[in-house]
Amino acid sequence: MFPLSLLTTAKGNPMLIELKNGDTYNGRLVNADSWMNISLQGVICTSKDGDRFWNIAECYIRGNSIKYLRIPDEIIDMVQEEEMPVKDKNKKSFSHRGRGGRVNTTGRGRGRGGRGGRRGEGRGNDGRGGPRGGAR
Amino acid sequence: MTSKPTVLDLEKYIDQEVSVKFQGGREVRGILKGFDPLVNVVLDECVETLRDPNDAYRLTDKTRRLGLVVCRGLQVSLVCPNEGLQEIENPFGQQPQI
Repeated sequence: MFPLSLLTTAKGNPMLIELKNGDTYNGRLVNADSWMNISLQGVICTSKDGDRFWNIAECYIRGNSIKYLRIPDEIIDMVQEEEMPVKDKNKKSFSHRGRGGRVNTTGRGRGRGGRGGRRGEGRGNDGRGGPRGGAR
Repeated sequence: MTSKPTVLDLEKYIDQEVSVKFQGGREVRGILKGFDPLVNVVLDECVETLRDPNDAYRLTDKTRRLGLVVCRGLQVSLVCPNEGLQEIENPFGQQPQI
């Protein structure tokens, strides 16, 4: 299970996010992307020392500034159920991305290594998908 | 994970007042005039909320006017609309956090 799979599975659920500056945000996860940028709705912001509170209709949090997230326990079961489809989806989107130029321009595809061995499997071009399957 | 490159949807806040918090503790509000995928943000009639000189993360009631500013995306940690923003009593009972 990957942190971001868990996070995408948690869409629509309430969660707590603490930022690096110590502020916490309780709200319903609307969307999250691969940088862990997050948009929340129905937010209650708590100051660092826990003595001031704000109500915020919605907010956008930059993934960069997140310290940690607390997610409802149930989500972990949902991820396991959805693991296969999620994996396939990722594989597709990542391979698109790779061919789209990101991996190629950065040379990252090669950097992942293990190409020789993977290639024989018929999916060798998918630099990111290969190791992902293996890790499961 | 998502097919969209970013979850950023600031389009709907254009020409509305938003609050922007920065890494390091500064906080400003202003009228959103523009933004980009890196979350560089253009604010008009921007006002910074000053902080306690002894505690960089504690805001005071004092403000200072900045006018038209560009907020550097790298330093932005949070953007939220000012509409519907209000300070409230502790909603969690005795315990401040869940």
